[in-house]
This record gives sequence, structure tokens and C-alpha cells, in this order.
Amino acid sequence: MEKLPLGLVMELRNVVPYKTGSWRTLMPINVMHTPPCNHACPAGNDIRGFLRVLAESKDYEQAWHILTRTNPFPAVCGRVCPHPCEGGCNRRDFDEPLAINCAERAVGDFGLENNLQHKKLIDTRKEKVAVIGSGPAGLSCAFHLAKRGFQVKIYEANSEPGGMMRFGIPSYRQPNYILKQEIDNILRLGIELECNVKVGVNIPLDQLRNEYDAVFLGLGAQKGVSIDVPGKDAENVFTGVEFLKQINTGKWVDVGNDAVVIGGGNTAMDCARVAKRLGANVSIVYRRTRMEMPAITAEIDEAMEERIMFRYHTNPVKLIADEGRVVGLLCVQMELKEPDASGRARPVPIKGSEAFIPADTVIMATGQAVDYDGIEIQTVDRKWIYTNENLMTDMEGVFAGGDAVAGLETVSLAIGQGARAASAIEDYIEGNVESELAQPPVVFSRELNTYYYQPVKRYEKEARPIHMRLKGFKEIYPNLDRDDIFAEAGRCFSCGLCFDCGNCYMYCPDNAVKKSKTTGFYEFDYDFCKGCGLCAKECPCHYIQMTLEK
Amino acid sequence: MMNQSAEELNKIEKKDLFGSGHRACGGCGQALAARLVQDASGENTIACVATGCLEVFSSPYPDPAWRVPFLHSLFENASAVASGVEAAYKALKKGPVNIIAQGGDGSTADIGFQSISGMFERGHNVLYVCYDNEAYMNTGVQRSSFTPLGARTTTTPTGNKTRKKNLPLIAADHGIPYVATATVDDFRDLQRKVKTALSIEGPKYIHILAPCPLGWGHPGELTVQVCRLAKDTGLFPIYEIIDGKLTNVRKIQTKVPVQEYLKLQGRFSHLFKKGGSPKVIAEIQEIANQNIERFNL
Amino acid sequence: MLKQIEGSHAVAEVVAKCRPNVISAYPITPQTHIVEDLASIVGNGELDAEYVNVESEFSAASVVLGASAAGARAYSATTSQGLLLMSEVIYCIAGMRLPIVFTIANRAISAPLSIWNDQQDSMALRDSGWIQLHAEDNQEAADLHIQAFKIAEETHLPVMVCMDGFILTHAFEPVDVPDQKQVDSFLPPFQPTNIVDPRWPRGIGLFADPRFYLETRYILHRAMEKSEKTIKKVSQDFAKTFGRDSGGFIKTYKLKKADVVIISMGSLVGTIKDLIDQLEDEGKKVGLLQICSYRPFPRKEVYNTLKNKMNIVVVEKSISLGRGGILASDVRWSFPRHEKKDRNISSFIAGLGGRNITKNDLRHMVEKVEKEPVELEFLGLKKELIAKKDL
Repeated sequence: MEKLPLGLVMELRNVVPYKTGSWRTLMPINVMHTPPCNHACPAGNDIRGFLRVLAESKDYEQAWHILTRTNPFPAVCGRVCPHPCEGGCNRRDFDEPLAINCAERAVGDFGLENNLQHKKLIDTRKEKVAVIGSGPAGLSCAFHLAKRGFQVKIYEANSEPGGMMRFGIPSYRQPNYILKQEIDNILRLGIELECNVKVGVNIPLDQLRNEYDAVFLGLGAQKGVSIDVPGKDAENVFTGVEFLKQINTGKWVDVGNDAVVIGGGNTAMDCARVAKRLGANVSIVYRRTRMEMPAITAEIDEAMEERIMFRYHTNPVKLIADEGRVVGLLCVQMELKEPDASGRARPVPIKGSEAFIPADTVIMATGQAVDYDGIEIQTVDRKWIYTNENLMTDMEGVFAGGDAVAGLETVSLAIGQGARAASAIEDYIEGNVESELAQPPVVFSRELNTYYYQPVKRYEKEARPIHMRLKGFKEIYPNLDRDDIFAEAGRCFSCGLCFDCGNCYMYCPDNAVKKSKTTGFYEFDYDFCKGCGLCAKECPCHYIQMTLEK
Repeated sequence: MMNQSAEELNKIEKKDLFGSGHRACGGCGQALAARLVQDASGENTIACVATGCLEVFSSPYPDPAWRVPFLHSLFENASAVASGVEAAYKALKKGPVNIIAQGGDGSTADIGFQSISGMFERGHNVLYVCYDNEAYMNTGVQRSSFTPLGARTTTTPTGNKTRKKNLPLIAADHGIPYVATATVDDFRDLQRKVKTALSIEGPKYIHILAPCPLGWGHPGELTVQVCRLAKDTGLFPIYEIIDGKLTNVRKIQTKVPVQEYLKLQGRFSHLFKKGGSPKVIAEIQEIANQNIERFNL
Repeated sequence: MLKQIEGSHAVAEVVAKCRPNVISAYPITPQTHIVEDLASIVGNGELDAEYVNVESEFSAASVVLGASAAGARAYSATTSQGLLLMSEVIYCIAGMRLPIVFTIANRAISAPLSIWNDQQDSMALRDSGWIQLHAEDNQEAADLHIQAFKIAEETHLPVMVCMDGFILTHAFEPVDVPDQKQVDSFLPPFQPTNIVDPRWPRGIGLFADPRFYLETRYILHRAMEKSEKTIKKVSQDFAKTFGRDSGGFIKTYKLKKADVVIISMGSLVGTIKDLIDQLEDEGKKVGLLQICSYRPFPRKEVYNTLKNKMNIVVVEKSISLGRGGILASDVRWSFPRHEKKDRNISSFIAGLGGRNITKNDLRHMVEKVEKEPVELEFLGLKKELIAKKDL
């Protein structure tokens, strides 16, 4: 024991502080949570990750690398994805959700402009995988496998790669040159591509099964399904998929003065808007109402903006042709009764309400199916390919994903499934049992402390004026301002991950939150923490939780 | 410390000059405030501390938590001792040094009132920081002249019947060049005010609302939130008085009814129980409204 | 320089020459002239110091505490009510071992209010850990201040210089006020060690829990006991430098052959010496033991000097109400219990509230104790003022 100093006057530099950590009953820990945006993204993107990089380091390149870790199509998705992430964004409960989709597009466009390259994670290994179909699912699967070092060859039935991205999405929504650049960037990882080869017809599937260590089927649902009405064999009657493919391959279609599109899905919207640009008066015929339309709200709104008429409660009965070419349809009015098997109200025709609608072109965007030509595989209800939880089909070593498996879904989902399948293929080849990494729990807006934020207006992308839009097939939304995107990314709450606000550091009455000299992150000094919980309460992003002391 | 730029004034400082290892309760508002004040002042500080929670939990032999020199003598004379230190530095032609006298309710407004009034009147170059936790917390939550209307303390078990003494205005009436009020939740503002004060010659007074989880009856984690509500109800107005003129009043963006603030604290729980006193709550709301009008919040 | 000067003025001049850095006092009769003089000395630039006009004695002591803790040589003066008001700070200063010097212009304590002299006030603080020195006359009062600063700074104990209010403070006597050079040669500049300074952060005034407090009090007690050496040495050095005897532990007068020994302290000692001279002419052998340092109490000196004296009378200007004479108790305690000697120690209380003590009163006192010992008596008590029931 030290001798008592004169007058009990102490030299403060020699003090050994008293460790108050022994008082605790609760202790703070850092717990990373999954933000709802990441949780909602079908492609599994680290949205919080790339937004924080944009907000803090203002570094588009690093953001691009973070995003392309999971999604090799940022420029495409930034244009066509229906952004469920924005629907989950916690900021939605504070003022408005973040314009994540715009941010993704800005990042993707930056990558293309600056020719950013994907990097391989592992150098080449000997195993070979065949990917059938170069749509989003196939290309995503090939991308992830190639990054892991596998030798990949893609077999594409069409003359060009891209699947529905190429042939199903019109270029005013997504220009072809953007898609081509992103596909080329993926192929640069050393992926072989052979076009004009339809597996099942030109090459049997079994041959590929023998030659390759695994096979991925990204067949898509590219076969248009028309409704069964008399007269559907007339000229200028198309299925939705057919029509779009024609236009996207550069072939012109004479739509005449009036075009009628039957259907309520995204394909129907695209067909209608393409037809409008080709010069026709367009109307959409749908047997239920807008509420029941499966198309994305934004696309319905844009179609309405482009002065496309919507005929609800209308169902075609017969197509009328003159000299083999369609001149109109006979339609009947429907009324909605109790819900049917699909859960939507059941339309019932009203007797005597038939009417004639003139049409020089009829497009039946009434469904899509998988083209199984030459492929024998177990299906679900004879529609979609059956897969187990590892995305493997009933055939050993054959995996599948995308529209062919999930039904008519989105590009992002296909990308996500392609990635999952690649992971499953790697496990299959190595003989591992895939272990599910426990995902951290999702953090919701009620768990955040939003006191520190002010409401800020959300970034809205500007569309070109309607009359300009309709003049051709140029992109509706011109390039986004990069600095505005930085500002928008700055609105991100960084739910569930520390973003260095310093609240815990400043608020601890016991100075028990220290800044680590090595990592720069905040750490708790458990020698002194008394477990009061101020840090957890004032953390805006719910990164700190109080748990029982051991 | 003179003529600091706006950037320097707004910079937040964390040097832990009031360090870990003190024996305050978890979530103590005063401990937080004390660290913010000492850090804003820097190492060139002499703290003259009055007896109270701050002194008792931070300066036991042999492990005080202070990293700047401190001088504690008695309960009621922090200001006088600080005056003496200032006189010594002037006489010995040493310095400049930041002399900060610090104390709580009693040592500022009650037993120490004489001392602080004398210090203000004589014009010493000393900053006095009052940590207002609205009762004599150190001795066991007894009523002080800062205890607000309706609060339950051990010596006012049915609720305090008098209103809070307004020391910032009393200080301003002494004609001192700088008076400010602050709370612990806005640390940037608090540190800026300390730095501003230290750049002015003459006696300065800063009144900080420092919630006491134990005495106020709320969990330690709500310390910061309680401060916010005190500001947003209007019960604790935030302002500066520079050379006698009221400035920098913090406007309330969304006014909150006093119930929101009172509900969180156990010392007001008797107002909400069955047979409680809506009249007292109305009176408290009246006080808040008067503050809002008087200071134009 | 020899001057015919009021006691207060002498003290003020001498204190100013000791170069204090901070002076802070609250006026109270009869100390007022001291502080007023110091104010004008500071005001006209003769002394470069900070003079702080405070609002109470409590603040005065606190200012002085703060100044000393910050490294300044600090001084204040008070008496009676003021001393009691600042008693908290007095104990605090001692506990912090700050070398502060005070002048106490001894005065009675109310109630009832009295501005006249007795020594109850400094007696009330005899346990506080301050060295208490009593001045016999104005010369000694002035000299003791110079010694006090030196003693305080060497022992790290605060010092009270006690001089009887009005009797000394307001009396005009010839006093040799030393010049600045002489004082400077005796009293070196203050070199404080344990101060608050941002360059070497220290904490002053920590609190001590039961593990440590006992030891701090032991250390303080031992420091008081050990200060005897310093007090004696400083007095000797003073004699060498200034050429006169002053201060020290005790002084004796015609003690060797005395049959009766009077013990006292303060200005009363002068009157007693006159009486002793008179009685000597009448053939009576009476001696005086003068207590200069009341705290630390010169226990050994008292015993050694009075070992062979059997008739001792203590006359003091203070009382412990309900017990008796304070100085008398201290004296009685100086003689060990096991000593089986038939010694009489009588206790007289005199001069409370400024009551004049004449040579006649003292003569009666001596005559009384020559006959028989007196347990406790109030000298010159006016029984005619006291109701029968209060007797």
C-alpha cells in the first residue's frame, strides 16, 4: 500500500482507476443486424454496403465492387428491377424510402463508363459446368461459377445472349447496348458462350450431363401462351413474347392504326407501350380491374401516362379477321363475383354486352410457359421445373433457377437463384453439405432511434416529357446526377451496422466506449462499463444491444 | 482561448479528462456532463469542485477519476475557492488557465448562494458550471430550491409545492458577461457553450440539466431522452444571455405536452395515480407555457 | 524602524513586508484596522498583491484556501464571530496542510454580543490542527507574523497569530517595524510543492473512507508535535537576525525561586510581570510561566519547568462552559498522574468580555492561592448582579 501523501494530495498521473465493470448486470454488445433492404432483395445484394460507401467515401468504384459481388447486372437492374428493397426500407416510416434503384443504376452506369472489371476469386480449377440459357439466371450462375474458378460454357438457343433481358424488355426501359456491355463484362471472366444451340434439340441433355460435372438449366419461360379464342390464327395476332422478341431483334411490325393488348401483366404493359411507339392507338383489354392486375404499379402508371387506354372488365370472345388479317375483336363485359382459385375476384360475363373493338394488331400477353422441347424433367403441375431446397432438379447434378423454377418472376430473383445454384453446384462438386449461415436478425424501424434525423426529400428521377418519349425507343429516364445520388445515399440509416456517428462514444458517462486504434471501430471497455444502456438506447441504427451479464 | 473560429467552437472534444472508474450510478447525467465540460475546457484547467454527488463519486482516495487538477474543499464555497485560485494566478502572474468552479443544486443556489453571488459581483475570471439534478441527490434525494413543482423527494413526499429557482436569470442580473443553459443530450451545443464561455473575460455561468436516474426514477438508458423531453415541453429552455441580451434561444420544433416528460419519471408518478393531481399537472403545463412565451421558444 | 504606532498598523506593515500574494478578509471589529491598512498598502502600490473583498468570513477563508492551493502566499485576519463562521474552512485548511497565516484579534463570542477582548474565539478552534501563537505585546505581535510565515511554510501547518483585540490592536506602543530587506533575508520566497497546476495535475481535497482517515489524523497530530522544533528554531533564528527575543514555546519570568507560579498567555502577561515586580519588593516570591505556543501545547516544557513547584495558578481569558478552565486543564494534564506529589493547580477565569483585570485583582488571586488551592473561580465576579437562583 502506498504511504499517505502530505495533506492527502494526490498526483493524478499515478492513479490506478477503480474498475467499475464489476457493477454490471447487463452488458452492451455490438450485434450486426440485417437491414430490411438486404432482407427483401431477391438477389441478396448488400444494399446497405454500397449505399454507405457512396455516402461516406463517395466512391462509385468501391460501391460497384460491393454490388457486383452478388449482382453482375447493376445497370440493368437499376432500370428494370421493381425494387422490393425500397418497399422494405426503414426510412419509409420516417419520411420516404431511399431511391435505391436510382443509386444502383448510377453505380452500374459508372461501372460501364469506366470499364470496371470483375475479378476472379479463385484461379482456374479443373471442373466444368454447363449452363443452359443465357438469361439472368444462367448468366448469374455462370458469373459466380467462373469467379470461383470453374470452367463454364453457356449454351444459348437464341442468336444472342440475354434471354428475356434481351428479347423481352423493350429498349426504352433498358437499352440493348447497356445489356451487351454487362454481358461482355461477365463473359470476360473466361466463360465460353455458344449461341444458336438449343439443348434438347441440337444437343441432348444427357450428353451434357456426361461431359460436364454439373449442369444448370436457366430456360426461362419464353414460350408465349395465348388464350383459346376462335380466330387467333389470323395474321398480326401475336403472343406477347413473340411480339416483343420481334421488335427487340430489330424487325419491324406493322401495327396499323389500332392495337389491342390482352392481359394485365408486365409483358402486356411492355407490348402496349411498344405498340404505341410504333404509331398505333393502343388499348389494353383485361377481364378484371387494375386492382387485380399483376403488373408492377409503376409500369401501369407509365402506360397510363403514355395515353394507353385501359378497358377493364373486358374479355375477348372472338377475333374477327378480314382476308386472313385481324381487324378487330368481339369482347364481352365482365362482372366480378366471389374470388376464384387464384384468390382474385372471379369474372363472370354479362349476357348481351358484346361489343366490337377494332384492331389491326392483337397481342395476347396472357401467359408464359417453359419451353421443354426435348428435355424430360420432373415438373410441378407440368408448368415449372421441380427443384429441392438446393435448387437441384430430380436429375442428379442438374440444377435449375429463374422463371423456369419460380414462375413468372423478376430479373433480380433469377440473378439470386443463379447465385444460389452456383453455390449449390460448388458444394455438390466438392461433396460438401451446404451449411446455412445463420442470418443476423432483421432490424425494423421501430427499433431505430430516429431522433437525430431530419426529414429530407427523396431523390426523384426525372422522366423525359411524354411526347418526347413516344417519339422512339430511347430511354425514358436520362442519366442520373452522380452528386444527387451521393446526397440520396446519405439518407441511408445504415440499419443494423455502425456508421460511426459517435453517439455511443460521446454519451457514455463512464468513458467505457473506446475507439480502437487498429480497426477504428468503437469497442466497449468492459472494465468500466456499468451497463446503464445509454449507448444502446441512443444508437440510431440498433447496432448495440444489451444482454445479460455472463 | 480567445477568438476561436466557429469550426473550433463546434468541434466535439473527447479526451476523457474526467475519466473512467468513478462511482456514479449507471447512466448518471452529471458524470456525462462533467466529462463534456472538462473535455471542452482541455488540459489547461483547474476544477474547483463543491461537495456533492460529483465530488463524492469522483474523488475518493486513492483513485480519483479526475485527470485535470481539481480542488475540493467544502460544500458551499466552490465559487470562493475558485476566486482565490484566480486571485493567486493574477498575483503570481501565472496563467492563463481555465478555472471552472463546479457544483450542484445546493452549492450553487442554496448553501452556496452567497459565495456565487460574491464571485459574480467581484467579477472574477471564473466559469461556474452548475449541474442541476433538481434535488440534493448526494445525501439521498432531498428537496432543493431547484426541485420543480410536483416532484417527489424524500423531504417533499407529497410533491414539491414551490417552483424552481431561476438561477440563470439571477446570474444574468448580476451583470456578468455570459450566461447559458444546456442539457447533456446535445453535447455539441454544451461543449460549444463551454468553449465560448472560456473565451470571455469575467464571471460566466452555465446551467446544465443533468438527469439523475436514481432520484428522478427512470432507467439509466433514458437519461438522454428525458433531457430531450425537458427541452421540447418547454420546461427547460435553452438559451444564452450575452452581455445582458437574450440570444440563441433553441426553438421547439414540435411542442410536447408535459405529461410525456412527467410520465417517464418515477418522481412524478404520484400525479398519475388514482386520486392523482391533474391540477398539479395543469400547473406544470402552465409553467411550460410561460417559459415558451417568455423566451419565445 | 522604531515607531509609535497602533498595534493594527504595525501588524499590517509587517505582514505587507512578508510579501503575501493574496489577501482576503472580511471586516470585523477589532480587526478592521489591519485589513484597512493592508488595503491601502496594496492600493498605493507598496505591495503587489491581490486584495479580494469578499462577502463573508467564510468566503474570505475560502479565497485564501484557494489561493494557497494555487501556490500563493496567502493571509487573512478575523476574530470571534468571523472565526466561528469560517470554522469549517479552518479545519479544511489544516487537513489540506496549506501554509496559511491568520491574525486573530481575540474577541469575546456572542451571545451576548461583545466586541471586547477575551480568548474564547481562538480557544474554540484549538483542536483544528492550526499552530496557535499568542503575542504578549505589539512588538511580539508584529514579530510573530514574520515567524509565522516561516513556520507555516516549513511545517506545512497553518498558523494563527493571536493578539488581544483592542488591548493590543488599538494600543499605541513603540514598535520596531523591520524594513523590507531584513524581512526578505529572514523569510525566503514561498516555494509551494503541493499545488493545483495544470502542468502537474494533482487532486486536493479527496475524501478518505474509513480505511484512511484515521491515519491522516495521526499524521496531522504528529506534525503538530514535531513542529515544536521548528517553532523553537525560528524563534532563535529571529533573535539572531533581528536582535530580540520573540515567540518560541514558553517564556519564564523570575521563576527560579518562586513559591507561587502564575501561568497565563496573551497581553495579560504584561500586567502579571508588573505585579510580580511589586510583590518581589514586598518580599513575596512569585514567578510567571508565559505560554507562547498554545498549540502545540508545550507539555514537556511545562512539566520540566514546574517539576519542583507546588503552587501553580492558571489565569486565563477563556472557559469551557460546563467544565472549567481550558488552559488550566491543559496545565493539569502536563503533570503525569503517577507522580505522587502534593501539587496545587488553581484555575482562575478572568477578563471575559473585555472585563478589566487590575493588578489588585491579580494580587487578591495570589493571596488566595497562598492560603489554599482554588478549584475554579471567576476573578472579579460581581455577585451583586447575580440572582440567588443563578448562583
